[in-house]
Amino acid sequence: MNSEGTSAAKIADSTICWSCGVPSGSGHFCEACGKIQPLARETNHFAFLGLPRKLTIDPEALERRFHQLSWKLHPDNFTRASECEREMALARSSQLNDAFRALRDPVSRVEYLLSSAGMRREGQHKQQAPPELLEEVFELNESLDELREGRPSDGGAARNSEETAAVRRKLEAARLNFEDRLGQVDGELERLFSKWDKTLAAGGVTPGAGDEQKKLMARMNETLNRRSYIRNLVASVQKELEEA
Amino acid sequence: MGRTVGIDLGTTYSLIAYLDQAAGRPGCIPGPLGDTLCPSVVSVDADGSIVVGEAARSRLLTQPARTIYSVKRLMGRGVADVQSELKIFPFRIDAGSQNVIRVRLGEKVFTPPEISSFILKELKSWAERFFRESVDRAVITVPAYFNDAQRQATKDAGRLAGLEVLRLVNEPTAAALAYGLHEQRRGRVAVYDFGGGTFDISILKLISTGEGDIYQVLATNGDTHLGGDDLDNQLLAMARNEIRIRHGLDLEQHPETVQELRKALIAAKHELSFAERAAVLMPLPDGSTYVREFSRAEFEGMVQPILDRTMGPVQMALADAGLKAADIDEVVLVGGSTRVPLVRRMVEQFFRRRPHAELNPDEVVALGAAIQADILESGVKNMLLLDVTPLSLGIETMGGVVAKIIPRNSTIPASAQEMFTTGVDNQTGIDIHVLQGERELAADCRSLARFQLRVPPGPAGLARVEVKFLIDASGILQVSARDLKSSQEQSVEVQPSYGLTDAEIEHMLEESIENAERDFNVRQVIEARVEAEAILRATEKSLSELAAASGGPAGSPELPAEERHAVDAAITALRSAMAGDDYTLIRARVDELNKATMPLAERMMNRVLSSALSGKRVSDI
Repeated sequence: MNSEGTSAAKIADSTICWSCGVPSGSGHFCEACGKIQPLARETNHFAFLGLPRKLTIDPEALERRFHQLSWKLHPDNFTRASECEREMALARSSQLNDAFRALRDPVSRVEYLLSSAGMRREGQHKQQAPPELLEEVFELNESLDELREGRPSDGGAARNSEETAAVRRKLEAARLNFEDRLGQVDGELERLFSKWDKTLAAGGVTPGAGDEQKKLMARMNETLNRRSYIRNLVASVQKELEEA
Repeated sequence: MGRTVGIDLGTTYSLIAYLDQAAGRPGCIPGPLGDTLCPSVVSVDADGSIVVGEAARSRLLTQPARTIYSVKRLMGRGVADVQSELKIFPFRIDAGSQNVIRVRLGEKVFTPPEISSFILKELKSWAERFFRESVDRAVITVPAYFNDAQRQATKDAGRLAGLEVLRLVNEPTAAALAYGLHEQRRGRVAVYDFGGGTFDISILKLISTGEGDIYQVLATNGDTHLGGDDLDNQLLAMARNEIRIRHGLDLEQHPETVQELRKALIAAKHELSFAERAAVLMPLPDGSTYVREFSRAEFEGMVQPILDRTMGPVQMALADAGLKAADIDEVVLVGGSTRVPLVRRMVEQFFRRRPHAELNPDEVVALGAAIQADILESGVKNMLLLDVTPLSLGIETMGGVVAKIIPRNSTIPASAQEMFTTGVDNQTGIDIHVLQGERELAADCRSLARFQLRVPPGPAGLARVEVKFLIDASGILQVSARDLKSSQEQSVEVQPSYGLTDAEIEHMLEESIENAERDFNVRQVIEARVEAEAILRATEKSLSELAAASGGPAGSPELPAEERHAVDAAITALRSAMAGDDYTLIRARVDELNKATMPLAERMMNRVLSSALSGKRVSDI
């Protein structure tokens, strides 16, 4: 993916319409003849939906936009069109669905923003425990071990139910604690979102807005890593509690 | 250009429907017997001709080795997948089968798409008879939880039947379309579709927009091997076991009796949908009779564990849609197996809402397919269907782990792009393995296809090939690749893991064209013979009536001898033609007999008139 971190991207510069031969504009359909236009290979989801790269998005407005474009781009409209138009419709409607899927959820939205700017790679840094959580994670792992040892199926002596109940209570408390942390991280993300949106509004006019954006992206990336780490913790505690 | 229809290619029954433009609503097309349900049963004669539907179903009893039912269970599957089914279904799988099953029917072997294409051809002929014009395009429905291979097999069947498959539509979604048009529903709808061989649950959102209504599927789940068949098999296993114990008889050696017993048990199952008790009386090969009475409660106890298996998928679909049972505004029942009262109670209890079953649960899917066929035929007007892919799409990575690239319940069409490079110097190919499923390891997912990307030799990691995976609106995968260094599109030869290659389908189509000529001849001969027999019967009746009326044998004044001779000669000539297979000769002899009997017909008419004048009733003649 190429980086286009400084300005809101346009779909593509106006190109010549394949059908009528005049400049087609930058939309989904030719401004002159109304025929569907081919999709540039590296189209950004925000640009495709006609949105600025803002991270705060009204979900209902996004869904309305998705439905409006679905009416126009869905392959159902093109069953009687030429084969090349059918392919263009398939490419555009799949892009529309991909874009809606990526942007409707705030977490996948910021993940998409970062990865499309080359600031995030899937599967990196996720295994590192955030330093401020180290102690709590250490304690949690101890409790998890205790719980596992307590299982008669593991061959160890069955603990009495009181001890098991105590461990369970500890784990429940730990789960609540980490869920709380998750809420904090989400709040942090939200604050970063609005900061990002502000720099976007200032982009192009304020000198140094580009650097500011890079810094914000790095912070969001780190926050996402922390979030994914904590989420995995919550999930594994949940699983152990269910199995125990 | 011919007509476009909607087809429900079901496990037990198949139906064909169209949109009645004048009435503005869909309707199912009846077959020659007047029934809209075509049993999904195919039988092959010793001379290779194919019998489908009701006629084939009666051969389940008389010629079980030439006849197959529930072939949908084999679509898009390999031999290893169907081992458990083979224990309960009398499929005769050919020994050479691997990833495409071949079924033996009499002397010949067929793939499941070929067998399904016979059913589709039968339905196509129903519609062509109905419209008096050709039908060449169709929307075919599939279980929502069908994977890529099962969908591809269904599409292949359409192609083999001479139909352009405009779209595969998920059965519960089709049902929702039919219900929406019927009732103008809004809100969140759960469609519980329990058919003959498959179970689906789909959660939809119905949205009114300025342009019209959108049917957006939020999530779908199911089990492609769970249906009314399983209830039947449960009853059958119980009955066979009782027969073994009580009568000391193993029905293994009596496939005809097994089919009779199955039929009787199905009848009892149907009866228990409205009666409290039902009984089975089954004569056995040893001369004794198996007598068994069921109460509804006993039946319900027996099938409860099977029905319970539908609730897991229901909960998964709700969770994926981010909803709870209480968030559902409407529940719709689809599929013949939802007639079982226990199913209705379970669904009602779970959603705390009385489910809708106003539309015929057998027909509703075909009706929805007809609506979608009309949308595709005449363009989107005021309805748009947004469906999802039921299973996650992934590619195999290091260590046999699957990297998911398109998650399940993504709205289709959906796509994902992945970049690939080389791992060692001068590597010239990159192997890609595409899978479908929710598990982490490739070995636990469904293998869809393998292909190799070509790269020019060079240092490791230098190549850049971008592959685009696209799931189209029918839920079928397409793959394209582009070398980013050279910006060249690369053609990808995808080898399906399960299913037919294009070349195999072409070959089958060629064969079926050859067969079509033969089939056409066979049909013509049969029709000519039927016609000949009708005229022979009519002639003989007239002759004997005339003879009786004139009180004497042939040659009476009523029928001059030369006329009688001409008629007799024509009859003899026709009979000898009928012994042969030349239908043009049979037709010619029919015409000659018609000509020879013309004076006879005139005399008959005169007699009727004169007897009427003399005050006698026609029936007295």
